[in-house]
Amino acid sequence: MAPVVAALPNAGAVAEIAPVDNLSGTSAVRPAALEMASVVLRHRDGADEVVALDGIDLTVGSGELVVIIGPSGSGKSSLLAVAGALLRPTSGTVRIAGTELGSLRRRQLSALRRDRIGFIFQTGGLFPSLTALEQLLLVAEVAGQKAAPHRDRAEQLLRDVGLGSRLDHRPDQLSGGERQRVAVARALMGRPALLLADEPTASLDRSRSAEMVELLAEQTHRHGAATVLVTHDPDGLSHADRVLTLVDGRLTEA
Amino acid sequence: MLLARRDLIVAKGRFLLMGTVVALIAMLGVLLAGLAVGLVDDGTSGLMRLPVTHLAFQPGSEATFSRSFMPADAVDKLRGDGVEEAAPLGVALFNAKLEQGGSKPKVVDVALFGVERESFISPTPVAGTGLAGSGPAPVVISQQLADEGVKVGDQLVVGLDSTALNVVGISDVGTYGHVPVAYTDLSTWEQVTPGATTPSGRGLVSSVALKLSPDASVKVGDRAGVDVLTKKESFAGSPGYAAETATMSLIRGFLLVISALVVAAFFTVWTVQRRDQIGLLKAMGASDRYVVGDAMLQVLILLVVATVVGTLLGLVLGSIFPAEAPFTLTVSSVVGAGVALVVAGLLGSLVAVRRITSVDPLVALGSSR
Repeated sequence: MAPVVAALPNAGAVAEIAPVDNLSGTSAVRPAALEMASVVLRHRDGADEVVALDGIDLTVGSGELVVIIGPSGSGKSSLLAVAGALLRPTSGTVRIAGTELGSLRRRQLSALRRDRIGFIFQTGGLFPSLTALEQLLLVAEVAGQKAAPHRDRAEQLLRDVGLGSRLDHRPDQLSGGERQRVAVARALMGRPALLLADEPTASLDRSRSAEMVELLAEQTHRHGAATVLVTHDPDGLSHADRVLTLVDGRLTEA
Repeated sequence: MLLARRDLIVAKGRFLLMGTVVALIAMLGVLLAGLAVGLVDDGTSGLMRLPVTHLAFQPGSEATFSRSFMPADAVDKLRGDGVEEAAPLGVALFNAKLEQGGSKPKVVDVALFGVERESFISPTPVAGTGLAGSGPAPVVISQQLADEGVKVGDQLVVGLDSTALNVVGISDVGTYGHVPVAYTDLSTWEQVTPGATTPSGRGLVSSVALKLSPDASVKVGDRAGVDVLTKKESFAGSPGYAAETATMSLIRGFLLVISALVVAAFFTVWTVQRRDQIGLLKAMGASDRYVVGDAMLQVLILLVVATVVGTLLGLVLGSIFPAEAPFTLTVSSVVGAGVALVVAGLLGSLVAVRRITSVDPLVALGSSR
């Protein structure tokens, strides 16, 4: 398979990034938060076998925003599911923050998602009964910690995404863009090594979409997480460090 | 468990509806507990209040006084090691006529207990006098009979020979077989009770009241060839006792099963509706233990709050029950009914646990796999 080459369109971020390793498609000096090698995912659809991912090689370094663009059915969600330890690949290896997932049990995968990965879902994936602040405090609770000591950090993260005045609002009291901002702040709450964003701009208009990608880029660089954003929307790509295309389960340089 | 608590508040309409159902079941549980205890009390309080540990019956009589006859001298045979007190006891049910001077006599039901006037089971009066030192054919009536209008100084006419019993006192002696108890002396009891004397004129009694020492064995009955049962075992022979307790137990059992099924159905539907949220929690790395704990906390809060409210409503309703109804509330029966309901509900909710643990975190990505 052809190596994935970084596009690095984000000039601001490029200055500190060392030359790209063509094989892995990332900086040689950045610690890799996500490493996928020869990943294949097949599943059955009735009598047919579908190849959702076909030999994916992808490495994303800390502080790097990689945008993967592709049409519906190209395998974007499957890629995120495998990268997010939600689905085991049929073959190939996946490492997150140095941990190889193949040998991990279900419970260990849960712990890895909790401690290393932050998810941003299409429509925010927020809990309807929780306020913006509580969405973040829930992350601490899920990690088995008391929420109160994490309140200051949660408030700061929400202020960072421009929601300092919306802490006590529930999802039905927030706009679509605000909900996505909460989702970004929540994903960062657990100090993840890897941030996975599944079509976070799908429900937003063009200007909000661009703002969302800009926000993700800013937060990625500020918090040093490796971010993979999958989308079918070509808007806002200028903020990405690399843009890759996924077609029929194969990754290619955009 | 932030999510559990917030869901209860935000989805309050749904939980209020479910809580109301549980509260009504809890209320019904309290009323049934009151009736169950009341019926047992009404059937056996006359025995419960006897200062005895055991009762001796004719072998094979199955603790039924009307089937048990033994010679009065069985008492002497039973006395010995391990028996602190022993006294003959006759028990028979009568329709008694209360003479009310000129007007038509009032008929009252009486469970007539015959005892030796000076024996340790002779009743202590709360009004009037006891059997000891009274004149001929004395009778000490229960408070229930007094409530029916029988007074000290009245005469109760019983038996085929229309023997008049003189009411000399009132005592807290309870009821037996849902009939008020009245105590008379043993010779009067033998006189009015059919079959209480042999053709040769030898007196028979229904039972022997025993107070055994703590280390004594029921084998003391072998001395007189009788069955010795504990006081509680002897309740089984009370008229209707077995049928009533079995019926009430069946109703209460069904109520608990229904409660478990109702809670199971509600939380199963609730879990199906929350499938996306549960998937999201799991995608965020929540363990099965956390997700199940979150759901079970919700169930527990709902059950406890609804049970407390329903129990309080049951207590209020029970307090306005008519006095004639056999309804007795005890702390243990009320607490027991509430705890049983909570446990049944928790067991019912376990049905939903399987659904919770089987939710795939992939649903958070909107996967249809």
